[in-house]
Amino acid sequence: MGRDKILQTIRENKTKVTPLPKTITDTNLKEKFDSGLINRFKEILQHVGGDYFEVNGTEELNAFTERHFSGAANFRKKEIWKRYPPDCPKENIAQLKTVILEVQFGVAENGAVWVDESNFPNRLLPFIAEELIVCLDSKQIISDMHEAYFRIANKVTGFGVFISGPSKTADIEQNLVFGAHGAKKTTVILY
Amino acid sequence: MNQTYNLQIGLFIPCYIDQFYPQVGIATLELLHKLGLDVHYPLKQTCCGQPMANSGSEKEAVPTYKNFIRNFCQFDYVVSPSGSCVYHVREHYNILEQTDEVKKVRKNTFELCEFIVDVLKMDDLKIDYPHKVGIHQSCHGLRGLKLGTSSELVAERSSKVHRLLEKAKGIEIINLDREDECCGFGGTFSVFYPDVSVRMGKDRLNDHLRNGTEIITATDMSCLMHLEGIIRRQKYNLKVAHIAEILNSNSL
Amino acid sequence: MTKHSCKAGQFLKNEQYAAWHDETLWIVREKRDKMARAVPEWEKLRERASKIKEHTLSELDNYLIEFEKQALKNGAQVHWAADAAQFNQIVYNIINENNASKVVKSKSMLTEECGLNLFLETKGIEVTDTDLGERIIQFRNEPPSHIVMPAIHLKKEEISELFHQKLQTEEGNFDPAYLTTAARLHLRQKFLEAEVAITGVNFAVAETGTVVVCTNEGNADMGAHAAPVQIHCMGIEKIIPGIVDLGVFIRLLARSATGQLITTYTSHYTGPKPGGHMHIVIVDNGRSEHLAKKDYLNALKCIRCGACMNTCPVYRRSGGHSYGSVIPGPIGSILAPHSQIKTSSDLPFASSLCGSCSDVCPVKIDIHDQLYRWRQDLSEMKLVSPGKRYAMKIAGKILSKSKMYDCLGKTARYVIKNLPHKLIYNRFNIWGKGRELPEVPKESFKQWYKRTYQEKGG
Repeated sequence: MGRDKILQTIRENKTKVTPLPKTITDTNLKEKFDSGLINRFKEILQHVGGDYFEVNGTEELNAFTERHFSGAANFRKKEIWKRYPPDCPKENIAQLKTVILEVQFGVAENGAVWVDESNFPNRLLPFIAEELIVCLDSKQIISDMHEAYFRIANKVTGFGVFISGPSKTADIEQNLVFGAHGAKKTTVILY
Repeated sequence: MNQTYNLQIGLFIPCYIDQFYPQVGIATLELLHKLGLDVHYPLKQTCCGQPMANSGSEKEAVPTYKNFIRNFCQFDYVVSPSGSCVYHVREHYNILEQTDEVKKVRKNTFELCEFIVDVLKMDDLKIDYPHKVGIHQSCHGLRGLKLGTSSELVAERSSKVHRLLEKAKGIEIINLDREDECCGFGGTFSVFYPDVSVRMGKDRLNDHLRNGTEIITATDMSCLMHLEGIIRRQKYNLKVAHIAEILNSNSL
Repeated sequence: MTKHSCKAGQFLKNEQYAAWHDETLWIVREKRDKMARAVPEWEKLRERASKIKEHTLSELDNYLIEFEKQALKNGAQVHWAADAAQFNQIVYNIINENNASKVVKSKSMLTEECGLNLFLETKGIEVTDTDLGERIIQFRNEPPSHIVMPAIHLKKEEISELFHQKLQTEEGNFDPAYLTTAARLHLRQKFLEAEVAITGVNFAVAETGTVVVCTNEGNADMGAHAAPVQIHCMGIEKIIPGIVDLGVFIRLLARSATGQLITTYTSHYTGPKPGGHMHIVIVDNGRSEHLAKKDYLNALKCIRCGACMNTCPVYRRSGGHSYGSVIPGPIGSILAPHSQIKTSSDLPFASSLCGSCSDVCPVKIDIHDQLYRWRQDLSEMKLVSPGKRYAMKIAGKILSKSKMYDCLGKTARYVIKNLPHKLIYNRFNIWGKGRELPEVPKESFKQWYKRTYQEKGG
């Protein structure tokens, strides 16, 4: 059996055990961002090709999305979930031009947002639309990936993703182009 | 300067300096004398063994290694105007049986600049050198002996060669586009990979030319031999001078 | 001259092109430097990543068992492949069991290593590589020249011509945005039609059974979420212990690879989608044997970032295809001899041993030390040319005896000084191809010293 032979060979060949380094608990990165976490997040988000809007609180957020993205598939509203279940025909989802998702937190160091499948009914949704709009509670912006993974640990679901800005490629002579396969435009609404 | 140290120094002159660039050996010897050192040059010395070892034949190099140890084991320090030879002794003589003699020689073999800065604790040699000097940071000295901080690392920037030159009167140390890219000599690489080697050398020289270097200096004459070979073939308006020659042009 | 040396010579014949290739990759190295310098704790991160990998390799069997246990609990199916043939067969079996014939694949050097595409194609399976760079080289029927930027050796005009032929884009339109849009539309169709999606794995987390895939394009996700069946392929060395360890690696990976803070998408696949199937294929293909080779063990820490390629002055001036190995450049030169020792015996010599690669490696692989060590081992195995070995044997004899050394030196100087120029600079004088030989002094240092000091009784 492939498995047994592989494990046996590993056991025979592995070296003396060396210890795992102690987990980082204090990264001290917060002090580095003189402008504060939210400003750093906004700055980096723009640097990676994303956009943002700022509103005050969930009521303003709801009004904002209604006014500016009324045609979008807004997955903050649980009612539309049943229209896009996991076994939904791909062609239905492929037609979506704009998708709105609630994301769980943002990372200041790289402008990324974390969202897992507890926030959308079909895993294609964060990727397939031309425009992705994510709503992020600005109090949920943390400093770096160490903190990010501490938050995710123990809460891992079937699928989750960090998204930093729009889809991109530089495969054609190192020219940066947005919208390779995923969203051409990614916007964060901070509330 | 008449400081005298109670030290016996063994001078190791690399084979290609011995044969083709004796002036570098002479400059090194004169400099060490000026610094008040008692310097000996064992006549039976030959080579550090690098050419064989870098070609995969380190076993064939063992008799050469042993000759080195034999010639230099009685000295407090072994000093050499060559980063790559010193790196080779310190790192790759590990295949010899590590007798006390071998360990002593490996520990106390120094490249010239690191010897002056780290052992003699000096960095101002009262040099007068009104020229535009481009420092070529030979790889084995830079990354192997840590003569400076390589550009890849995120650490405080420092360079022993720079330290020894920056106080020279009239000197202008040139900033290059690629501060520590390899020149392409690489020992036998220069003949087994002639096209890449020469291309790398030309690119280094063009960097110096673009930025206004008059004289290229380095801790390794092997790099300079390769670069000078290209300079002369291409008739570039550049000169080379080993660091020992520049440091020796002092008023100590 | 070795194989690689000849190919490098060919590459350099087009000086302008070679200069462009070199500069393009150097820019990526500079981007990496800028990113790294903005992280004051960068060297500590490297050290930490290195130690995590070292520890993991020392307990690899236990972590693999834990990973499998968790993945199975999550509803994934786990397969083990001892070698490339088994791997290809396992993947084909999954595709066949699902009556599928259309497959999309995101970047995986492991699948290149095992020759998966060719194998599947002979079985009548259509495989579409969906990373834009990979799709370009798939159209051209050539291997990637870089593990992260597979089409880095191509100019936009060449890609425009290729797309004109394959995708009917406008002839002569080489606007990157136009070409990318054409590829987007073409590949979107493939994503929607695909019945199976294959991805590589950047990191496999033992604690949770999660596989992590990092892309800028989102093609791994488009594939894996649209197709009912997703297959993730990993070498055994991709394991890391826990979720929190990802913090270190994700911070290092994109900065080292492309000079980005993070890839656009960092996807964590832990279980299948409702109604879908998730397969993980764990591949050995020589890695467990490699574990026994203490001098070369560190190479198993590699996270496939490609930083060593971007910094290597030889790679930049010879191009990935000149190596003739699945993975080119410095890391390729120390990995290839494990599996293809005869055909890659020249690769450890394709280096000036400058050490830059070791300094940029995010997991601190001692690449330049391993290159040196391989040279010794290959020579011992008589896989270095007999001419070279014989020359070194002679050199070893001469250079260990001062009288012989002195004599040879004197002879060499005499010959160079006195023989006619045409005789010296003949086709056997490889040094003389692009350089002048050093000028010959009237005496060696030793002769000067003897004359100056011994005569004076000094």
